[in-house]
Amino acid sequence: MLFNSGIFALFFALFFPLYFLVRKSVFWRNVLLIVASYIFYGWWDPRFLILVAISTSVDYMAALGAAGKPVFLIDRLKSAAFLLAVTVGSLIFASAKDLWLLPLVAAGMMVAGLWLKVIDRSPPERQRRYWLYLSLVTNLGILGFFKYFNFFVGSVTAALSSLGIEVREISLSIILPVGLSFYTFQAISRTMDSYRGRFDPARSIVNYAAYHAFFPQLVAGPIERAAHLMPQFESMRPLNRDLITTGALLFAWGLYQKMVIADNVAPIANAVFADPTGQTAGMTLAAVLAFTVQIYCDFCGYSNMARGLARCLGFDLVVNFNLPYFARTPSEFWQRWHISLSSWLRDYLYISLGGNRHGQLMMYRNLMVTMLLGGLWHGAAWTFVAWGAFHGVIQVVYRALHVDQLLERVRFWTPAGLLVHLSSWAVTIALVMVGWILFRARSFEDATQVFSNLLGTSGYSWDAFWPVFAYAAPLALVEIYQRMSGRLEVLNVGPYLVRHTAALCVLLTLIIFSAPGGQEFIYFDF
Amino acid sequence: MISEPRTTAAGSHESRFWTASRSRSIALWLLKVLALVIYSLVVAELFIRLFDPQALVPRYVTGTPWGIRGNIPNARYWHQTPEVKVQYRINSQGMRADRDYPLQKPAGTCRIALFGDSFFVGYELDLKDTFATQLEQQLRAEGFNAEVLNFSVSGFGTAEMLRQYEKVGRTFDPDIVLFEWHSTDPDDNVRSSLYRLQNGTLRTYRNRYLPGVPVQDFLMKSSLYRVIADNSHLYAFIRERVAGSVKRLLVKLRRVPRGTAGTAVADEAPPTDQLSVQARWSSPDIKLSAALLTHAEDLVRAEDRDFYVVEIPARTSRTQFRSTITVLPPDTREHLKIISPLAAFADAARPDLKLYYERGHGHLTPTGVRLLTAEGLRAIEGSPQLARCSVPAAAVAPERHGSGKT
Repeated sequence: MLFNSGIFALFFALFFPLYFLVRKSVFWRNVLLIVASYIFYGWWDPRFLILVAISTSVDYMAALGAAGKPVFLIDRLKSAAFLLAVTVGSLIFASAKDLWLLPLVAAGMMVAGLWLKVIDRSPPERQRRYWLYLSLVTNLGILGFFKYFNFFVGSVTAALSSLGIEVREISLSIILPVGLSFYTFQAISRTMDSYRGRFDPARSIVNYAAYHAFFPQLVAGPIERAAHLMPQFESMRPLNRDLITTGALLFAWGLYQKMVIADNVAPIANAVFADPTGQTAGMTLAAVLAFTVQIYCDFCGYSNMARGLARCLGFDLVVNFNLPYFARTPSEFWQRWHISLSSWLRDYLYISLGGNRHGQLMMYRNLMVTMLLGGLWHGAAWTFVAWGAFHGVIQVVYRALHVDQLLERVRFWTPAGLLVHLSSWAVTIALVMVGWILFRARSFEDATQVFSNLLGTSGYSWDAFWPVFAYAAPLALVEIYQRMSGRLEVLNVGPYLVRHTAALCVLLTLIIFSAPGGQEFIYFDF
Repeated sequence: MISEPRTTAAGSHESRFWTASRSRSIALWLLKVLALVIYSLVVAELFIRLFDPQALVPRYVTGTPWGIRGNIPNARYWHQTPEVKVQYRINSQGMRADRDYPLQKPAGTCRIALFGDSFFVGYELDLKDTFATQLEQQLRAEGFNAEVLNFSVSGFGTAEMLRQYEKVGRTFDPDIVLFEWHSTDPDDNVRSSLYRLQNGTLRTYRNRYLPGVPVQDFLMKSSLYRVIADNSHLYAFIRERVAGSVKRLLVKLRRVPRGTAGTAVADEAPPTDQLSVQARWSSPDIKLSAALLTHAEDLVRAEDRDFYVVEIPARTSRTQFRSTITVLPPDTREHLKIISPLAAFADAARPDLKLYYERGHGHLTPTGVRLLTAEGLRAIEGSPQLARCSVPAAAVAPERHGSGKT
């Protein structure tokens, strides 16, 4: 279900009154959230609810075990019952030929049971680590198979072939489940935090399942931390007119970013990136600019919609984008772009690898590894790896040159300071755009063609850039205001009449200027 | 439980005070809400005018005793689009004309009756530029003592044209009847449900089709509403969207359900571009439209009148046009006399020439009408019905038509 679809509007219109009725009982509220979230996700393909349930069942136990708490028989039975209930429930809505999934899930449960026996028989000091492994193997196993199997097999086959070793290529027709990368990372973070003693998991599978599948952020984040969001599922949330109003306005702003800006500039980018050959430099630059705007508004818009919806239900989700295109250095960009993923990679990968604790060279290595894997997280293609590597390299260079520290010393509101900061910003945004070319291109050949096009001088006309400018300029003005005022929720500031007028204008803009047809959210593919 | 009323002087005063205060606060709250609503409407009006100016095309239609829509007799109103501003004058008989027509046809005069939708009414055109006026002038110039009566009403489909002919058109004793055909007709015919195909036979299904007319009649009593309908871009914006949604909904609801049309399963699919031409020909919607035209032709010819169908092509770009009548099955098109300006449009097409308006409601421009008239004239001047009124050119006084151009 897409947030910008009629079916979601109907879904929410039916869900919200029910939610309002049960909101004062934590248990029933969470039961309703689980049912609603599973309907929301299963609308796309009910079979993949089983994966969500596997991740939920395993991590419910794994977090308890990783925290050093005993995982009682009742906890194991709750997990098994939940998984079986979801499996049977989802298969009711799937076709008969998918019934083979039931014995597969049963077999998987037996394998998990054997692993639990191994854990139970191991010394207490190792048990916590084994529970963590269970979570990692399960979540990364699901992620690896569904997202990367064909990529790795294809890459290995190609590598062997280049060495003169011919092997038969194996390729499975695997559908990538929507939001897999998001909910598996969120599940891992909770178990990791439990293992590290940063989070104390509770024994309610209902609360955890509601947290794990919370529909506003299930399919495209933000990737929440248990310490922030889980307590909200264990307590009664305040729900008042102010929260609903500000949540609705945040949702409307996200919808505007997605439907008015991202979807309208998308065709400009698509036209060039679909076949960059023969495109003029002007058209290519316009397409790169369009994609720069599109990917930001697409993903930031989704995050705002998720946060707005969650707030309407009384929940608070983390800010995922903090004006990233104002960044003056690549590291600042990553502190502002997809913050929940950047901080996840920092906390669970970069720091786990040693961070900056073992000298400069190791820090650079850790940075490169983190960015490479961060690139790969976005998609199973070498262009994403190259995009990650590119960002890794520029961050290493910036760190080696201590650019961030130097910028900190330069005061902004001086003529020289302005020049330095604006130059840094211009360089950074140019580098980010170079990165987006690698990110958006379908292949290295296409990326090379785009770079080659940009070296030309033809096609620079107002007509080429006007459509991008028309949609990006109002956003730029709003973001400048957000930057100056320090207020991200632009529709929720100022006197009542100003807010009312702004909201009215956004709604009218949505009605008038929304792109016909609409495009899927880019990050659904990740 | 009913509490005792307070009887002390202080209590009574307190109660009255509380009531007055409460009433005042409710009144204030209502006033604030009202002010906010008015403010919102004003902002929305300004916003629409600034960013998405609308074509102001109010519909002055009402119900007729024969159950379909008709132009409001003696109405005077304006349409304003980014391209034109046009006045409409409706005669007392509900036709767009500056004079009334007697039921009795004047001796030696031929009558041509037009039945169509907004294209034939002449939306976005001055009266002098409409197809009706142009055709009459051309016929007179060619030496025919002819008058063209325009029974068209915006929104009509073939079913309503047929009903209009049956109930009112034939009473004026026309010699030639022209039915307009446009791409919207199949949907209009389903929507109105005045007729349906039952086991391959055309049957009257409903006696009335007056969408929104009772509401419109009620609202039109208010001069404030008329001011808003005539001038508000916000109203036009909302009206077009609501009307569009209701129209689509009506088509869905009234499309013939499975099995009742006596046709194959493939017939049920709506006529979309994805379907093959053959599949479209056999769809119930198209079959209904074909049956309506065939029935109209039979009816008109049985009364010793000539019958033509005038195709309005669809515009795909300023210089490219698409036939709309090819959705009808070949056997229907074979027996119909079709007037099509498609080839003339294609020949005349130039990037600097508009045959259709592009920023309003997409009707024909005066140039487009002139080409259509030339085709119409070429087709009907050979009709034996016209021979009755052929006179020397000098003897025919040109009919005067007022212009609504400001």
